[in-house]
Amino acid sequence: MILHNLPISWKAKKINLLLASYIFYAAWNPPFILLLWLSTVVDFFVGRALYTQENVAKKRLLLVISLMGNIGMLCFFKYGGFILENFVDLVNLFGVNYHPAKPNIILPAGISFYTFTTLCYTIDMYYKKSQPVKSLLDFSLFVTFFPHLVAGPIVRPPQLVPQFETEHKATMKNIMDGLLLLTFGLFIKVVLADAFLAPTANEIFGATKALPAIDAWMGVLAFSGQIFFDFAGYSTCAIGVAMCLGFALPQNFRFPYAAIGFTDFWRRWHITLSAWLRDYLYIPLGGNRKGTVRTYANLMITMLLGGLWHGANWTFVVWGGLHGFYLWVEKFLRDIFSKRKAQPEVEAITVTDRTPSLGFIYALLTFFLVNVTWVFFRAGTFHQAWTMLGSMFGIINGGEPMLTTMSIIKVWSIVTIMVVTHWWMRSTSLLQLAYKVPFWLVSIGWAAMLVALALSQESTSSFIYFQF
Amino acid sequence: MTNDTLARPALLALLLFLLAIASWEIYLRHDGANNAYDDSPSLWAHARTQVYQPEDKSTVFIGSSRIKFDLDIPTWKELTGDIPVQLACVGSSPLPVLYDLAKDTCFKGKLVIDVTEGLFFSTNDGNRQRPNDGLKYYHGITPAQRASFVINKPMEASLVFLDKENYSLNALLDKLELKSRPGVFMAPIFPRDFDRTYFERQSSMRPAFVADTVQQNKQKSIWKLFASGPHKPPINGAPLDSILQTIKVAIDQIKSRGGEIVFVRTPSSDFYWAGEQKGFPREKYWDKLLADTGCKGMHFMDYPETNHYKCPEASHLSPRDGIDYTHHLANYLEKEIGWKFPKSF
Repeated sequence: MILHNLPISWKAKKINLLLASYIFYAAWNPPFILLLWLSTVVDFFVGRALYTQENVAKKRLLLVISLMGNIGMLCFFKYGGFILENFVDLVNLFGVNYHPAKPNIILPAGISFYTFTTLCYTIDMYYKKSQPVKSLLDFSLFVTFFPHLVAGPIVRPPQLVPQFETEHKATMKNIMDGLLLLTFGLFIKVVLADAFLAPTANEIFGATKALPAIDAWMGVLAFSGQIFFDFAGYSTCAIGVAMCLGFALPQNFRFPYAAIGFTDFWRRWHITLSAWLRDYLYIPLGGNRKGTVRTYANLMITMLLGGLWHGANWTFVVWGGLHGFYLWVEKFLRDIFSKRKAQPEVEAITVTDRTPSLGFIYALLTFFLVNVTWVFFRAGTFHQAWTMLGSMFGIINGGEPMLTTMSIIKVWSIVTIMVVTHWWMRSTSLLQLAYKVPFWLVSIGWAAMLVALALSQESTSSFIYFQF
Repeated sequence: MTNDTLARPALLALLLFLLAIASWEIYLRHDGANNAYDDSPSLWAHARTQVYQPEDKSTVFIGSSRIKFDLDIPTWKELTGDIPVQLACVGSSPLPVLYDLAKDTCFKGKLVIDVTEGLFFSTNDGNRQRPNDGLKYYHGITPAQRASFVINKPMEASLVFLDKENYSLNALLDKLELKSRPGVFMAPIFPRDFDRTYFERQSSMRPAFVADTVQQNKQKSIWKLFASGPHKPPINGAPLDSILQTIKVAIDQIKSRGGEIVFVRTPSSDFYWAGEQKGFPREKYWDKLLADTGCKGMHFMDYPETNHYKCPEASHLSPRDGIDYTHHLANYLEKEIGWKFPKSF
């Protein structure tokens, strides 16, 4: 921030930000910076050529080069082991005795995020949706800008590039807002996710046998809270840090556990990813423009691939598939309801406006169903996922209790407060609230978060979404 | 709120935060607390980086908690002029660390292996968790973690409330000791003054613990609780031979590079020593370990200077006895084993 506010040229400030971003990335694993450079340089020049190329065949070839480069890199580093494992299983099924050595591929931090960032640029250039970025410096900064680099929000060129073109300086309001968001993000990540919820989630999902229903549910609820606080915490920190430097990043979470239904959920959870999947996968597949059957199929394909994006394991695919199924059911019911009521669309907001208590019940039902999906997201294997679900719903009995009274109290109280807060805040934001309430109340809340951060003394857990 | 910015609430929040933290710090100091380092994988990994010192100027210690308490690092340094590298982990077997050092072709120094039979020969994964966590951290350390260590440790050195074991949010909540559900084992909370960890990973009882039989008795009851839990029978027969064979291979690897290795059986007393003699008879474990590996060892019962200690909680030496034991250990290593140290004594 000090360097960024020195009386130097805007270009020098951007170079400073770019170098800081590379140092930030190198802090995990320096050699992987080369991949980032490669991706940046290739996509900058390919993107420019895509925009200016008029020959359709050459244009398509360029797009294929870009897609193969980006997706190929992602496939190798993220899905290499998974693809090989499945290939081996397949050939073994046909009686071929093939057992290659397990590849030892290290996943570069944030590869899924920056690959999607660069991919959307080249696709936009192909369709001429936006202007090519003028300078390699601006493009490099767009790809590498450290707040969003390793875990999003996934930014689009028009959201960030124009901010680099003209000088940006954070105002006092930006800095204070940013610091509040940074504190809040750290608080929910370090205190709530790492200190209070992660130990219970890890203990329960580390169990190898069936559990009593209460232990299983507490483990799933703990993970439900942990994954939200962890990821929303990172996004909030990223937005806050960018704000302190005078830049605006898109919102990534809007109190998702207040969602009524799954369309609403995906408008609140990892918003930039769902918007990306909608614009660059669902709509190009045909979206809802090619009849009912294709709409349902497109929805499912999008969610299955969205699941796979999260990790190289079939459990993630099932997680995405389950969300796709929920969206199917919701769409089916919505279509029936729309026909009966002769209404084109039933927005979740009308439910909350007219009958808030009914809306809250719908939100709880959505939260309940989301929790079922988290089992597949967190479990390492299907066996573990089925055992957990069996324990949760009383299908498998006889497990030994694991959680202490204190663990149950922590999970229950944090998750209850989280769900109620999400409902209460569903149509507003933290900053809006901070400007509405008396200043001393903001101060007490802010100070309490700082004290909890200092006392929690959690320092070693990295963000869950870094691995994606 | 009518403010244009959050500057005013931010300033007040900062003041409230500083006030709250300062009050807490002052209260803890007034209550007799003093700073302690978090014996985390990052501190262990830092110690692990020290094993490459010249072999005539450093000694590496691996083992369980006893050697952490019983080796007084300032005394060792003063006496020998040698740098001790403390890699022992509480409640753990040293074998993962031994195997790691054996694989590390750059390590060829002096190695002292502390033996607490119940942990040393344990096949329970839980008894390898801490060393494995430390090794994983050490081998995968990132520049960010190094920077974090450099920033964090001076703060731990000066602020009492950063004693994670006693004053982190979870530790404070655990101290409420809510009655747990039937069938759930609740890890007992050690008395605050039992273990203070220093930067070089020495553990030490605080004076209040040494003077307070209530705390000592509480700790003894915790040891008894651990001993009364369901345990696998001590390893024996072929599995024991197999472990000893693996240890010998590791030791031979280190020796082949010029390394030197000695086992030590650190003192215990009262019911703890009686239980250990019963569970792990000397001839079946300690003597066999030395015979099979071809190493020398110092058993505390073999020397009149070390066989009389009375551990305050039956398992670890008091700081005063630790100083005394360190003298005898250094003496043994120099006089009986013939190890060379920068200073002769």
